[in-house]
Amino acid sequence: MNTVALLVGLLVLSYLGSFWITRRTAGGVGLPSGVEYAALGLVLGPQALDLVAAKDLTAFEPVVQVAVGWLAFGTGLDFGFAAERRVSPSRVALASLGAIATGGAVATATWLVIGCLHMDVTRSERLLLAGGIAAACSQTTRHAVGWVAEHLRTQGGLADTLDDLAHSDVLFPLLAVAFLFALGGTRATVVRIPWLDGPLVTTGLGVGLGAGAALLLRSEMPVEDTWAMLFGPALLVIGIAARLGLSTLTASFFMGLALSRLSRHGPELRAMVSPTERPVLLPALLLAGARLDFGSTGSWPWIAAAAIGARVAATILVGWVIAAGSRSARAGGPLVGLSLMSSGALSMCIGMAFALRFPGTVGDTVLVVTVLSATVGEFVGPARLRRSLLLAGEIDYTAARASPMPKTVRA
Amino acid sequence: MTARAVRAGISQWLEHAVLLVAFGALVYYVTRAVPEVQGRLWTIAAIGLLLLAGTLTSELTAPLGLPHLTGYLFAGIACGPHGLRLLTEQTVRSLSPANTLALSLIALAGGAELELAAVRKWARGLAWAMLVQTALVLLAVTGAFLAVRPLIPFARVLAPGAALGVALCWGALAVTRSPSATLAILSQTRANGPLATFTLAFVMVSDVVVVVLVATVLGVARPLIDSSTSFAFDSFVSLGHELFGSVALGTTLGLVIAAYLRLVNRQMLVVLLVLGFGVSTVLDYLQFDALLTFMVAGLVVRNLSQQGHKFIHHIEQTGTVVYVVFFAIAGADLDIPLLRNLWPVALLLAAARAVTSWVGARVASHVAADPPVLRTWAWSGLVSQAGLTIGLTLVVAREFPSIGPPFRALAIATVAINEMIGPILFKLALDRGGETSQERTTGLPSIRPPAPG
Repeated sequence: MNTVALLVGLLVLSYLGSFWITRRTAGGVGLPSGVEYAALGLVLGPQALDLVAAKDLTAFEPVVQVAVGWLAFGTGLDFGFAAERRVSPSRVALASLGAIATGGAVATATWLVIGCLHMDVTRSERLLLAGGIAAACSQTTRHAVGWVAEHLRTQGGLADTLDDLAHSDVLFPLLAVAFLFALGGTRATVVRIPWLDGPLVTTGLGVGLGAGAALLLRSEMPVEDTWAMLFGPALLVIGIAARLGLSTLTASFFMGLALSRLSRHGPELRAMVSPTERPVLLPALLLAGARLDFGSTGSWPWIAAAAIGARVAATILVGWVIAAGSRSARAGGPLVGLSLMSSGALSMCIGMAFALRFPGTVGDTVLVVTVLSATVGEFVGPARLRRSLLLAGEIDYTAARASPMPKTVRA
Repeated sequence: MTARAVRAGISQWLEHAVLLVAFGALVYYVTRAVPEVQGRLWTIAAIGLLLLAGTLTSELTAPLGLPHLTGYLFAGIACGPHGLRLLTEQTVRSLSPANTLALSLIALAGGAELELAAVRKWARGLAWAMLVQTALVLLAVTGAFLAVRPLIPFARVLAPGAALGVALCWGALAVTRSPSATLAILSQTRANGPLATFTLAFVMVSDVVVVVLVATVLGVARPLIDSSTSFAFDSFVSLGHELFGSVALGTTLGLVIAAYLRLVNRQMLVVLLVLGFGVSTVLDYLQFDALLTFMVAGLVVRNLSQQGHKFIHHIEQTGTVVYVVFFAIAGADLDIPLLRNLWPVALLLAAARAVTSWVGARVASHVAADPPVLRTWAWSGLVSQAGLTIGLTLVVAREFPSIGPPFRALAIATVAINEMIGPILFKLALDRGGETSQERTTGLPSIRPPAPG
């Protein structure tokens, strides 16, 4: 396919995506993580129809990097806020611990399976594989609970708790990505940054540019200038992080976080950036799908099974911990943790970032497992969430039965 | 202005200066620490850098009364391959898609800003100005080129006939103006009045005149420069095809945009991106004039539908980003060493053009009995030159390879001077003519600081 034709196609997809943001609340189409677009990409990509050739994917690498970085920036802006309600520090801590526990379980399971399979990978690659999959599988999509709550008109402690947790669990996965990126010396890494300093430089870069952007946005300015002040530092942080071989995701996230916390215009900025996420996400997902390569290693089914199994087990355990401290969560039943199974845009972005940074067995396997985990999450998460909310008495039985299965949430 | 407001202004200025230096230092360190990597991702960072540096530099130079555009150019020069080398030649070249997109949006905006009713009001003045400016600038600048020929190494050695041919080409290029610079200044100043309307209408219409003029002059100059060729009418057939096709496609595009605005009117930003990239590619393939096509599309939306104001609103939302990127790239692309070598001749030729434009404006205004503001300042908006001229230079250079590279180098040096001086003159004229809006460009209420308490 001609590169410009592909670009226009992606823009059209982006256009459609922007429509679905506003139609979502009126009935909804699509899935939380957008895996269906990844599937479409797979069909169009070199593995199937070859309409999107491998060289096109290379040509569009910067587009994907920018999309991924912009989504992380939006996630950073939104971090710790659930529908403009600030999430309490204790819930942020709980969410982070949950993510660490889930990520730890997934990493351990993956590490062990790789050992059992005697895969032909170095120790460093094994660490990258286990860590990358763990990072991608340890978070819940931000808007999963919010959409269900809105869709079924729920109100109550359980919905609020789960919503808060879903909005504040990305810190660990993104820091893990920063560590892992600093570990891997690949084609783009010219400057050697010691792996312990890597995350520090990555977060420092993001926070520094975020603080700079916050200063720039202090004065009153037309909205066009505001966009320039958002795009400028955001593109710069992505470019610099990539040039230094650091995680663009983590740097962009911390830039968004710093900007959100330091700027008095935080709510307005969140309102500006939020509607851009879906239009940016869909083309990125399509290209991610086109990059999927199930043939890079024959062991991916086993790795995926181990990772997803560990994730299910860990989220159930995390649910028990949440239930131990919250009466409303206890009312959601013993499997309330599975309500947090929906993984979203950020997981897909992590998978994509690994595929770009570590092309070959590591990147391809992380991306494949991420997509599969997101697909499983689609089946388990929303259904379990609805069930838990029903058990907790936070939705009306009649209304819930009358409404269709909440298959759609904002990614 | 109160002392408090002045202090706040100074404090903000210093803050912006410090931030500009800090961002610059960071990128300087990164480019020095990792010199080898020149991947496509750095192109993305380059856009971010130019956006930041351009916006901040324009804020810093604003107290001097300079237009924002000049700040964008300075930022581009400073960041570019002949400044701090934060961007290499390769990176600047790789920014061309962004340039194409920006140019298409600028042309759309230009067409959409042209209200035929207002243009009709100045039709007599416009017609005279077009006639006088085109004829006078062509002849006088051709003469000026021949006069300074002994100072131009590549022209000095040409036979008289060939020198006349090259001088005619130079004269034709001198007739070109800069729609992008005019629009950028008007967008910044929100100027409204006879000078703003007249200049915009003149510059946009002159695009069509210039395309015809350059084709004609090339036809005349060809046998003069290369005696083995003769005057060929074929080029006029392809010119007609190009002009007719561009207007037809532009009209269709305009009608489609108007229908979209009426029926859907959402996500125009994405639609504009699709138009910018997609239609530009189609136009390139068809060899139509992109500037003319997009300009006609904007004109149709504004004047043949009820959707003009909606369209202008959408286009204006992209304004700052588009202009910063376009002119900062232009600044980064300026060949400063070349300008250093050729500046005396380039300055002479630029001055000859500016003086001729001034004389032409005075004559045309007198004949057309224009209002005083036009008599005094109509010439000021006609000095700027930018991408359109450089594009046509390339056409001339391709047509006459024997003199192509030095001709193009001199043209670029002259355009650089006009590009830097022209916008300053035009803004000065709008300010003096009392057409600059006194209001700060409107900000969205959402981004304004919260009320105290």
